[in-house]
Amino acid sequence: MSEKTAMADKNKLSSRQLKKLRMENMTREERSYVKRKALVDKIWPFFRFVIIFGLGFVILYPLLYMISCAFRDKMDMNDPTVMWVPRHYTLDIMKETIQAMDFWNTLKNTLLLNIGCSFVQVVSCAVTGYGFARFNFKGKKILFGIVIMMILVPTQVISLPLYMQFRHFLGSEKINLIDTMWTMYLPAMTANGIRGGLMILIFRQFFRGLPREIEDAAYIDGCGPFRTFVMVMVPNAASAFLTVFLFSVVWYWNDYYVSTTFFTNTNTIATVLSDLDIRLSKALFNDATIKINPREQIVWKQAGCLLSITPILVLYACLQKYFTEGIERSGIVS
Amino acid sequence: MSEKVKAKASGTKRSRLSYERRKALYGYGFISLWLIGTIIFFLIPLGKSLWYSFNNVTITTGKSNTEWLGLKNYKDAFLNDKEFSEDLRLTLIETLWKTPLIIIFSLFIAVILNQKFRGRALARAVFFLPVIIATGPVLKIINGDMGSTENTKAAQFSTMFSTDLVGELLQFLGIYGISDKMGLMIQTVADNIFGIVWSSGIQILLFLAALQNIPSSAREAAQMEGATAWEYFWKITFPYVSPFILANIIFTVIDTFTNPMNIVMGRILSLKSSWEFGLASAMAWIYFGIVLAAIGIITFIVNKFIYYEVE
Repeated sequence: MSEKTAMADKNKLSSRQLKKLRMENMTREERSYVKRKALVDKIWPFFRFVIIFGLGFVILYPLLYMISCAFRDKMDMNDPTVMWVPRHYTLDIMKETIQAMDFWNTLKNTLLLNIGCSFVQVVSCAVTGYGFARFNFKGKKILFGIVIMMILVPTQVISLPLYMQFRHFLGSEKINLIDTMWTMYLPAMTANGIRGGLMILIFRQFFRGLPREIEDAAYIDGCGPFRTFVMVMVPNAASAFLTVFLFSVVWYWNDYYVSTTFFTNTNTIATVLSDLDIRLSKALFNDATIKINPREQIVWKQAGCLLSITPILVLYACLQKYFTEGIERSGIVS
Repeated sequence: MSEKVKAKASGTKRSRLSYERRKALYGYGFISLWLIGTIIFFLIPLGKSLWYSFNNVTITTGKSNTEWLGLKNYKDAFLNDKEFSEDLRLTLIETLWKTPLIIIFSLFIAVILNQKFRGRALARAVFFLPVIIATGPVLKIINGDMGSTENTKAAQFSTMFSTDLVGELLQFLGIYGISDKMGLMIQTVADNIFGIVWSSGIQILLFLAALQNIPSSAREAAQMEGATAWEYFWKITFPYVSPFILANIIFTVIDTFTNPMNIVMGRILSLKSSWEFGLASAMAWIYFGIVLAAIGIITFIVNKFIYYEVE
């Protein structure tokens, strides 16, 4: 009955009149609440825009600065009138930096190392995480404690003994793994690579969140646990795999501590970037000892930064959705 | 691997082996690969580094020789190395005030990014950028260059954001009366806004994930009851994200402590490159002990205020 009249009202009155009518039916508190809400709804977007714009600028500032620096001539650095917009545009700086970093070779190396390590690490961490999530065995708590320790102990604490471990692998005098890709691949294969502990934890949480029923069905059908894992769990975890894989690529890409410890001649983008000064002097003047004016050096350094983040930025731009949405479903949350 | 094969064999031979036991063996099978790796690449090196910290370590042609010193390295770290304890103090204090700021800031940003508005996808993409850049040498160069163009830390920032601007703003508003301490605090925050924004990428990500898990029924109920945004935040949002506050605090603490750019880490690394492994290991262990203690205390305190929906 009342609905009917309401419908009739809607047809007869304009929306403004309807609103007025509704306001009159409210108590005083309700009215003040609605009024205040309307006010906040009007003002807040403005503040929100200011906050987001300001902080977004803080984040984008270095990137803009990189772009601005990488394409200007070095004499613009000494020109006080040049702040953002260069006076002399040039591509030479980029070319010189590419040459100094041996960019294409290094990029190939890094990608090979990165993608390979991330892939095996994701697989091994997923297997381990599944083991911790679904099976009960003696000593599980202690072993999981070790996983937590892996997260907490900084690499720097164990880097020297780890170096010795690779220098004389498995106690043998002859096997020297230093400066080979094995120093990255072996830990990654056994779920001990960069931030391996964190990845095991993520997978454990994720698999614990999946319903048990899907596995039980597979068991009843006579699947072994390993086949169940591959056939049933992995397809269900596709989004988690992708997210963790992406993060792993980023972490390997940015790592320079581990790589400089174990590599002497193998270069990755990050190691090349961290000793760009010497490389520049070598490439430009054929003499590593020459010091370039630090103010002018900025242009090459920023160009180097721009070069080394571009591949990862492209990846981010293409897969942004998975970075930001994947983590919500990847189980870190629970 | 071998365990699993054994498990399978014994499983088919004698089905007396209980289901539970078989599952346990499978469990070992799943984690065996990690276990082998972790012994070789984590536990042995960890033990060795603890052993080094009690020894005088000399390296000759790739072999390490140790000479037992007892606690001497630890004593040296505190007594003979004045810089170390000073660095340690500074790092601790910095972590102490930076962590809450990062947590509050990232929660605030996450709440904003969770609202519906135009260009939200773009804003999110920008705020997650630090996640993919901030861990590498790129950030070092960004920071370093800002230093080298004179003007200490924030370089060109200081002209736009920092100290003077805040001071002038306060004067403009006619606020002269606040004490120097308060003024100093505001200045430090303004100076460090760059560092804070750049180190809260992951935290924003986690908080945002938590916010999206708030059931819509809770929001609707709050709206029905006429809750203001402020009340909504404290009564609904905060309890739901509180478990993540702990996770984020721990993450932030670990992140600031293990950052290679942090001064204590820098000191340990420089000792290592001058071949003083014993002392470096001792310092690393002291440092690590403090980190663990800090995390333990935080977990203990914060756990009392956390609201768990289930459990």
